[in-house]
Amino acid sequence: MRFSLPSLPTKLDDLVLLDLAYIVVLLPLILMLKVPMILFSIIVLSLLYFKRTPAGNGLILFVFILGVLSVYLSMYGAFSFRGLSRLKLFLELLVYVLLVVVAMQRLTRKINFYLLISPFLFLALSLFFYHSIVMLTYVIFEVFFLLWMILTHRMQSDLVESFRSAMVMFMYSLPWVVVLFIFFPRISFEHANYGFKGETVQRMGHDGTMYLDNKALLVPSNRIVMEVGFEKQVPPSHYLYFRGSILYIDKKDHWEPIPPFVKRKNHVSYKKDGIKIAYKVTLYPTQKRWIYLLDIPQSPVKESVLDRDLISTVKHFIKEPIHYTARSTLNSKFYDKVDRYTLKVSSRFDPKQNPKTYEEALKIKNLYVSKKERAKAIVTFFHTKSLTYTLKPEPLDINHTTDSFLFDKKRGYCVHFASSFTTMARMAGIPARIVTGYKGDSSNALNNYLAVKEKDAHAWVELYMNEHWVRYETTSTASHIEINTVGSENEQTNSPTQSPLAKKINLYLMYAKYQVETWILYYSNIRQKQLLQYAKNNPRFIFIFVISLIALLIITFLIITYLKRPRYSSEALSILQPLLRSLKKKGFVRKKDESLHQYFMRYIEDNQEKKDLRIHIKEIDKIYELIVYRNLYTKELVQRLKKLIKEFHKI
Amino acid sequence: MLKSLRTFIQIHKRIKQHATVFSIVIVVMLFGLFLEAYMHDFNLVYITLFFVFSFAFSAGPLGVLNLGHLKATFVPSGRFFAGQEGNILVEVTNISTTPSWSVTLHAKGSSIELAQLKGESRATLSLPFTPTKRGIFQYAECYLESKYPLSTARLTLAIEDIYRGIAYPEPNGKSLETFLNETETHYGEEKEFDGLRVYDGSQKLSHIHWASVAKGELLVKTFTKEMQTADLVFDFYKAGSDDEARLSQLCLWVLACEKKHLPFSVKLPKVQLGSHKESIDEILTTLATY
Repeated sequence: MRFSLPSLPTKLDDLVLLDLAYIVVLLPLILMLKVPMILFSIIVLSLLYFKRTPAGNGLILFVFILGVLSVYLSMYGAFSFRGLSRLKLFLELLVYVLLVVVAMQRLTRKINFYLLISPFLFLALSLFFYHSIVMLTYVIFEVFFLLWMILTHRMQSDLVESFRSAMVMFMYSLPWVVVLFIFFPRISFEHANYGFKGETVQRMGHDGTMYLDNKALLVPSNRIVMEVGFEKQVPPSHYLYFRGSILYIDKKDHWEPIPPFVKRKNHVSYKKDGIKIAYKVTLYPTQKRWIYLLDIPQSPVKESVLDRDLISTVKHFIKEPIHYTARSTLNSKFYDKVDRYTLKVSSRFDPKQNPKTYEEALKIKNLYVSKKERAKAIVTFFHTKSLTYTLKPEPLDINHTTDSFLFDKKRGYCVHFASSFTTMARMAGIPARIVTGYKGDSSNALNNYLAVKEKDAHAWVELYMNEHWVRYETTSTASHIEINTVGSENEQTNSPTQSPLAKKINLYLMYAKYQVETWILYYSNIRQKQLLQYAKNNPRFIFIFVISLIALLIITFLIITYLKRPRYSSEALSILQPLLRSLKKKGFVRKKDESLHQYFMRYIEDNQEKKDLRIHIKEIDKIYELIVYRNLYTKELVQRLKKLIKEFHKI
Repeated sequence: MLKSLRTFIQIHKRIKQHATVFSIVIVVMLFGLFLEAYMHDFNLVYITLFFVFSFAFSAGPLGVLNLGHLKATFVPSGRFFAGQEGNILVEVTNISTTPSWSVTLHAKGSSIELAQLKGESRATLSLPFTPTKRGIFQYAECYLESKYPLSTARLTLAIEDIYRGIAYPEPNGKSLETFLNETETHYGEEKEFDGLRVYDGSQKLSHIHWASVAKGELLVKTFTKEMQTADLVFDFYKAGSDDEARLSQLCLWVLACEKKHLPFSVKLPKVQLGSHKESIDEILTTLATY
């Protein structure tokens, strides 16, 4: 539509524009406001609504006292001067103070400099609190909205006109933002905290111990622990074992790793045969120190240490998302010349704790000489016990967990299978240990992307045979899988309530989310280097990139051209424009203060010899007059006018 | 494309850019956002930072184009008299198809807001101007100003045109009526009673309307002249005590005669001007440049 509609009351007062800006920037901050501050905001809003005149000193003093009280109550118990060093608490205080000050100034109904710039301060502050895709979308909206409001104020125009101008400006800026975002040099070294301390966020999932009692009943959530991007397709599920920790010591109700004070020979060179693979990981804050790497890691990543059990840890707890590129050899066994101590703890068991299992293990031990055959026999034994895989097992007898699981309850999940298998293997003379970590679920994979969730936390077993640690997936010994298991642990179960289509859509959304998070939210110096490196090695990528950039420029140019099209007072005048442009091009310029009718008549006079043209222009003039001045707006007339203008070009 | 670029460069040369308080705000904002982004590699902050930077960056060309398509010229603006406020007319034309926003015309301490000027349209603005003395004057140093789009820069476009005008002497002195009354016998005879008017001291005592005096009002009778003289003659030397006063007096009478369509002549020391030979503007110009 190129003509303006009859003017709507869309011109807004400067104060209203400012209010709208405040509403938009305060919306995300409302979510973090404490109840006293929310009440304070409601009171201020009520005052603004009911009191339409500038507030006096008394009222402003009242609001000030109320504001200070609200800030005090909101921060009560959470704040001391030491608290100032906690960034978010400090920022929260800043938001509250700014809110009180803005409320006081707004009540005076006078726009001053501080009231004008405060929306930008609120916007900047809100960016400290939220860091998600939703916020990304909202920030872009906020930026546009503020631009719109500024332009409405500057242009003193209606909202439609300023919206067009804001869109034009936004479109002009978009290619710059894209280019700057990609190429603006990011900082490679540690970021400044300006003296502030980090925040603590607790996450569940894998940790260093493995409980067999009621704590084991906790069902891990759907939250994503890490996202993995492979160079090519995601490998099959049986390769997706992310090593977490190694548990050697049976403490009846739980398993523990070897205590850190025990000195073991470190840094053993392993022979690693198998498929070599590289992958990038975005690990979200776990508040733990493990770096999860696929079995078998080739080298430590970043500042982590790879111990003799191939467990990777960092010095400090992971409080921020970290990104790393790792290399692993996909194999279920690896060579290791273990030391005496490790061998000892890997073989330790208490026969009195699980006598029934011990009896069965001895049978196997006596029957088979080789450890491999014994292991096979244990697997067979597990199969014969008709064990059920379930995330809702009945509590085991804590003093005899393995006996309780294998001979009595027969229901459990990875933890119970791994614990029982390890115990029985040790009883059968095979050194064994439990590995906990995550097992990627191929149903959470798309192309080269894999999302690892908390519910993917897993435990499996490694048996030491012929100087090799060999992985055993003990849950595969289950004879039954309980269908109504809530939230799968790994690939064993899929949620029956979710249709395949919904699951596929969900996966695509997660993939899109991962890409946005990888390339926008967590785009970093490493990503930038990777991108540049990739570009160096792939001329095709550079070509695609340049083409995409040109396409973006063309799209923005087209949108700008569309938005900048002049608007006319009537549809008929808008239809006439090609004709007027054509006449102007021919050198027939409209005189100052000449009406369209006079202009057409002059054209007719100047072109007396061209009969067709004369008739044509006369009819155009007549129809235009009928539509505009006699208000005879009909579809037929408009169509006729359009047709005549088209025909004019052909004459 | 190249043509547009050339046009833009030409426009850009004509326009001057000045910093505003919001230029500083933008710089502070960019710096603050950078510190925030640097703190935790906040990409949301980086995005905001780049948007702010791009807006500030694109505001320049947009502002230049907004103002650069305007052309302002002075148009004939009526008569000016020394010491009296007149209006200089400025015609602002937008040669672009897109509207121009937030434009103000500035000149010698006064400013007029134009707000919006639609594409391919023009607007005439009146600049108040008071000539301090009679004679030829020039009016320049006018400029168009705009803070569009973000107030981060104040763009000015100087109006190269100069208004050359003439300020006539300030019309001042005795009214034409008084002049006629004083010189009545020479310029006509009273014939018909025309009505009553308030006595202002200059009328003859014989014209006092005694009936109204009896009612408490001091009115005098006025009469139409039987015949008017062919020409009123305003003598420079009899018009006042000094030259400026005389010129002011003559100017007042010339204007009054113009209003009443009375023929007249002005006797200046070396020249005699007549309304039947010269136009009023020519006579006034002679007085102005005396």
